[in-house]
Amino acid sequence: MDSGDFMELVKVYGKSVYGFCYKLTGNKEDTDDLYQETFLKVMELRHKIDLHRHPKAFLIATAFRLYKNYRRKYAWRQRIVPTMMFDDSLSDSRWMTDGGVTPEDAALSNELRCKIQEAADRLSDKLKIPLYMFYTAEMSVEEIALALKIPPGTVKSRLYQARKAMKKILEGELS
Amino acid sequence: MKDTGKWDRLLQEALTEAAEPEDRLNEILIQRWREKETMKSKVRKRWYAGALVSGILLFLSVTTYAATQLLSAKEFVEQIGDPVLAEAFADPNAIAINQTQTSGEYQVTLHGVVSGEGLKNFYDAGEIRSDRTYAVVSIAMADGTPMPDTSDEEYGKVPFFISPLIKGVEPWRVNIVTMKGGYIDKVIDGIMYRLLECDSVEMFANRGVYLAISSSKFYDDNAFIYNETTGEIRPNPDYQGVSLLFDLPLDESKAEPELAEAYLHELVPPSDGQKNDDDIDQENIMNNINERIKQGTVIPGSVRELKVDEEGGYYYEFEDWHTPVYPESLFAEDQTGFSDDITVSGSADGTLKALQFHKDEDGVITGRLVLLPEGAMD
Repeated sequence: MDSGDFMELVKVYGKSVYGFCYKLTGNKEDTDDLYQETFLKVMELRHKIDLHRHPKAFLIATAFRLYKNYRRKYAWRQRIVPTMMFDDSLSDSRWMTDGGVTPEDAALSNELRCKIQEAADRLSDKLKIPLYMFYTAEMSVEEIALALKIPPGTVKSRLYQARKAMKKILEGELS
Repeated sequence: MKDTGKWDRLLQEALTEAAEPEDRLNEILIQRWREKETMKSKVRKRWYAGALVSGILLFLSVTTYAATQLLSAKEFVEQIGDPVLAEAFADPNAIAINQTQTSGEYQVTLHGVVSGEGLKNFYDAGEIRSDRTYAVVSIAMADGTPMPDTSDEEYGKVPFFISPLIKGVEPWRVNIVTMKGGYIDKVIDGIMYRLLECDSVEMFANRGVYLAISSSKFYDDNAFIYNETTGEIRPNPDYQGVSLLFDLPLDESKAEPELAEAYLHELVPPSDGQKNDDDIDQENIMNNINERIKQGTVIPGSVRELKVDEEGGYYYEFEDWHTPVYPESLFAEDQTGFSDDITVSGSADGTLKALQFHKDEDGVITGRLVLLPEGAMD
């Protein structure tokens, strides 16, 4: 793989990997670190894997593995730069243009979005990671199964449990 | 909330991450990757001499392609990216040697040496030091077969120990390991070149200094014969492997006998002729160390994950230990468990400690200190 191939890999999968890393770390500084380390680690291991077959699954699995390794470091930083990191995304144009919603609707959506994110944060890794892989990294059930080394049926089951758990949390919050 | 489609869409929208990698971040990432690829073109190793003896170090690897003839010392040093030292090798004060000897399957060429005075003009220009000696040696297969590249699994399977030895000084006591030495290997067009450095040998010019090459990891007592009466060292003709000596034609007028004595006194405390705690064959230490570690005790609190310094380098830190660590040299790409590279150091009270590194399945590297049992190295 030459420099051009590497740049293509970054171009095609960079956004998904970055988004997934952001969900894990919750802040830009750690996301930048984890994002870079993920690509560099994958390139280090590229001779051992068939990167052409399931590149996204491998990248996302690597990001999660690295995150687990350095979780303590990230957790420590998160205590210093705490919690609500959603301010940047409040101006996300998707929220303002989705179905012609009014500013009032958008504000409501933002509130709901934060609550959904908080609910996701409360899930265990077992449920949360497949959820982020599915919704944030937009991986298929098969890709998640490959990344987590579990059967596709188990992925579906965990996604179902995650949705159910979140629904329960949110219904309690919103009622 | 009872509408599954709506609920799924809500999750999709809420969990989609708006943050994207900035262009600058991707530029840095690509630059870092290029640098990593470039760094693979060299193998570097350095010994850190502790109170007793230490061994470890580092790796980086790959190959470049050049002309078929041997490079000069200057050309090789340029290739490994040290233009200041390359100029020092071209300076009139450097000693161009360009002698080749054959031992077994290998042809070994000593290209040149520069030290002391020869470096003074360059001292301010770079990071080279005038109290060091630098030499360039190349090793080629006598039948023209290419030497394994540093990225090749075969690299290092036949190790080469290349070291200055001083006439009249026990070679197992004073060699590149104890003289705070190190080296960089690079294979160019099938020939392995090595730039080695250690404390300056120029002060020993009046005694006579050799450059020894043996196919061993450390100084091998079987490869050379030391005459305790005359102080001369010669290759052992019965040695099963490479065993060669070059005489270094140093300028005797540059000798500094008093400085040399002081240096040796510090390095090799006077012996009463009896075997003492320091009188230890380094290779035996490394061979026996794993067994000794099993009998030792892990020092409480010393099991520490490696830290990262501001420049991105790894280091192990515990109490007064602060040791740079090069994971690439400690572990093969997918290796887990304990590294074969171990640092042993002794202290004045006679205790010996081994620094060991472990890599788990997630790639996390931890160091730990093991207090070796009393008499472990006897």
